Amino acid sequence: MTWETVIGLEVHVQLATRSKMFCGCSASFGDPPNTNVCPVCLGLPGALPVPNARAVRLAVRAALALDCSVQEESVFARKNYFYPDLPKGYQISQFDRPLAIRGRLVVESADRGAVAVSIQRLHLEEDAGKLLHDRFPGKTAIDLNRAGMPLAEIVSGPDLRSPAEARSYLTALKQILVYAGVSDCNMEMGSLRVDGNISVRRTGETTLGTKTEIKNLNSFANLERALTAERDRQQALLEKGGRVEQVTLLFNAASGDVRPMRSKEESHDYRYFDDPDLPPLVVGPVALQEIGAELPELPGAKQARLMSAYGLGAYDAGVLVSERPIADYFEAVCRAGADPKSAANWIINEGSPYPEPASLAELIGLVAGGTLSHQAAKRVYPELAPGSAPREVAERLGVLQVRDEAALRRWVDEVIAAHPGEVARYRAGEARLLAFLTGQVMKRSRGSADPKGVQAMLARQLEGS
Amino acid sequence: MSAREVALAVGARLGEADRAGLNATLAWSEAALLAEAERVDALPGQGPLHALPVAIKDNIVTTGLPTTCGSRILEGYRSPFDATVIRRLHAAGAFVACKTNLDEFAMGSSTEHSAFGRVLHPMDHARVPGGSSGGSAALVAAGVVPMALGSETGGSVRQPASFCGVVGVKPTYGRVSRYGLVAFGSSLDCVSVFARTVGDAARLLGVIAGPDPRDATTLSAPPITPHAPVRSLSGTTIGLPREYFPGDLDRGVRAACDAAIARLRELGATIVEVSLPHSALAVPAYYIIAPAEAAANLARFDGARYGARAPAGGDVRALYRATRGAGFGAEVRRRILVGTYVLSAGYYDTYYGHAQAVRRRIAGDFSHAFAGGVDFLFTPTAPTTAFKAGEKTGDPVAMYLADVFVCPASLAGLPAMSLPIGRSEGLPIGGQLIAPPLAEAGMLATAAALERVLDAGAEVR
Amino acid sequence: MAALAELAVAPADLAELTAQMDRIVGFVAQLTALGDLSIGAAEPLGPRVTPLRDDVVTPADLGLGPSDLAPEFVDGFFVVPRLGAMEEP
Repeated sequence: MTWETVIGLEVHVQLATRSKMFCGCSASFGDPPNTNVCPVCLGLPGALPVPNARAVRLAVRAALALDCSVQEESVFARKNYFYPDLPKGYQISQFDRPLAIRGRLVVESADRGAVAVSIQRLHLEEDAGKLLHDRFPGKTAIDLNRAGMPLAEIVSGPDLRSPAEARSYLTALKQILVYAGVSDCNMEMGSLRVDGNISVRRTGETTLGTKTEIKNLNSFANLERALTAERDRQQALLEKGGRVEQVTLLFNAASGDVRPMRSKEESHDYRYFDDPDLPPLVVGPVALQEIGAELPELPGAKQARLMSAYGLGAYDAGVLVSERPIADYFEAVCRAGADPKSAANWIINEGSPYPEPASLAELIGLVAGGTLSHQAAKRVYPELAPGSAPREVAERLGVLQVRDEAALRRWVDEVIAAHPGEVARYRAGEARLLAFLTGQVMKRSRGSADPKGVQAMLARQLEGS
Repeated sequence: MSAREVALAVGARLGEADRAGLNATLAWSEAALLAEAERVDALPGQGPLHALPVAIKDNIVTTGLPTTCGSRILEGYRSPFDATVIRRLHAAGAFVACKTNLDEFAMGSSTEHSAFGRVLHPMDHARVPGGSSGGSAALVAAGVVPMALGSETGGSVRQPASFCGVVGVKPTYGRVSRYGLVAFGSSLDCVSVFARTVGDAARLLGVIAGPDPRDATTLSAPPITPHAPVRSLSGTTIGLPREYFPGDLDRGVRAACDAAIARLRELGATIVEVSLPHSALAVPAYYIIAPAEAAANLARFDGARYGARAPAGGDVRALYRATRGAGFGAEVRRRILVGTYVLSAGYYDTYYGHAQAVRRRIAGDFSHAFAGGVDFLFTPTAPTTAFKAGEKTGDPVAMYLADVFVCPASLAGLPAMSLPIGRSEGLPIGGQLIAPPLAEAGMLATAAALERVLDAGAEVR
Repeated sequence: MAALAELAVAPADLAELTAQMDRIVGFVAQLTALGDLSIGAAEPLGPRVTPLRDDVVTPADLGLGPSDLAPEFVDGFFVVPRLGAMEEP
């Protein structure tokens, strides 16, 4: 009897605006508590919300990047509940008429290859404030700086089939949203939050099992761990003939367990109704087209283009497009004359800090032309501060490839003299010691000797006598 | 008079009103009045309301005086910002005279539901001035101030205007900014005006009206400019909706309306009968929609960030429940419970959904009448003259029915007003005009024409 | 309903309040006796489109701040009792 796991993710991203969703308070992070507040986000009597144009724009961008159908008219609704981080006693969100619906995101699954995960909806809402439970014993401290920040909520369909797939989906989602400039999607800073819904059923069954919700996961790794733990728990329970209860769970990172956070009787009745303070949100065809034009080349398309235009393999292209600045850098290095495959290798293997594109291109050229050994070039790479030429740095470091016979001869002689034992063994037939001796010459030359020349010279020298 | 003299005179009259026990004010002080005078004196020119004292209903926030909304839950609350309408009054050179008493959070039709005691009708202390803007109406009627701001959700300015014998005008929904009006029924709330004459009401409305970037529900409409006086109403068609003139209408109210209609005819107006068939559904629909919105609007009052906080042991839930249970009066609690109920799971379509559909039908009735050639509608404002205190507090529904003639125009978002048209047994009677959206100027001109030829103080037979 | 609305109701008041609620709900329920109301929609009130605000930081510039308004305010935080029975939504 095999089991199938069914997972859907609800993701909240904080939109990259300067001000809050419904008021002009600053959206900056990390300021002293309750200093970015005003009547609107404090929920003072008489205050009214007015939506942030850029937040709408970014949400539409996200929707287009995710292939959603953007609704020309959508409606803000009040989600009513009481909680200390919610100043008005309701959250302004969107309910039955969200900004966008029916999108998709293609994700690489280790088990199933490319999977098109459905995006059921993307809508706008405001964030709640922050609560601190340990600041004052027996009391709750409230900071409303975050209250009213603009969020996009993105809900996937129950299309993921493993915790690993869920993690891949979240990675791909973050990548595309960062590419589109919608959010910085930083889980540590709270600009990306995820809740997971998970159920289990026998393979082949078409109806969904009872799902549980896991909230407030704070890292990609914990998302995967928590879903794994819950999948295992549900499976074990069902195997024993038990029933899964629909509860909300919290993940304990230290123990690796999930535990229920709410008693099953209390589920929230949000009593949604259209917010009378906000007429409908309209995104007309002209605006939609303008916003679409703002979208950069997205990761999938960029990866495919790098593969075809530069002859890269899928893996290398994939690594380069993981972050847009890296892909852009790669192309700049190629434009400066470097061989694409070499450029890709250098960028992927050596990493940051990245030299100026022209410098890296030159460095690659020096290696290709034989002026620098690859090893020597690796030493030059981190020293390539802006404005410095690779050849000068190589000279300064003394690693310009030396082919001069006399210099090579001197090092070879020194090494032979210093390693009589290995020389004797080589002459006795241990051919692989040539590599060791070559290495010693390379060391003595601080990497600047031409390895092929060294090896040939050693072989000739040790041949005789 | 200099601004300072105005301040002292108003202070004297407010003091007298307090001593007479009217209980129409919740906050005023000579210091605040003198501060207003200083501010007015420092203004460069003389605005359209220069040195005019305006009483402000205590659900409109002011920085100069506390705002309580007639509720213990906001006792002592001082708003850090002024409502947009207050800033516009200030810019026009007007004084904030005082904050006036009201039914708690504007929920009521008699001002008997204030946590700080009821307001007395200036002409008969045993009676109510109407509500919820009873304090503002009473002060204007008693001559303490020439004009006042109130608010309407279901008729709370027109009805007390009718009871007190003053002019009360509600603008088109969205014509006046709600930024700073403590929200009750957000899709219905309108800051509205009281004055003793139609001309003054028009002036005041003209100053406060206009789009506001802080309120997303305000309309871009041209300013309401005062009309040149109109002497003749020939060319104007006035509709009389038959549903507002039932056979059992109070005889005094009927007589006053008949007299007013006769005057309208004499002025040259064409009078036609029309029908607004869904009128009877207005009060029930209102008492679903307004409480639903109110329940959400009042959820912010929890003792956490401002206002009063009840002493409560235990957790934050205990704090919320104790604060709200003690801080809200009985009518407010009823409305919150009704509002919560009609939105709760399983009931949305039955109540709230249905009520919104009815609301659209009611608005449709008015559109149909206006499209059929009617310029304005004329009706009684209230089914009776001012009733006695305590008469209707035993049955919530009886109180709700006091709004039967004013409620429909609120649901439809139309501009509407009441002007005094006579007396019955010494008590004022108001006649109501209802206009199409954005037709305030024409409505006010028609009202002014009628005002000129009516003796509003005359006892009707 | 009182629990949903976070309103404390004294047991002594419960009976009268329930009777009043029955009266009010009975009154408004006359609407439910009506048939299909989907036709005849009128023009919506207020603007048809919500106006949007430029993404510019405008400090509130309040004369009174959170510390002046709050019943309990310590070290820059609003303070309320512990969560207790009130679970996270």
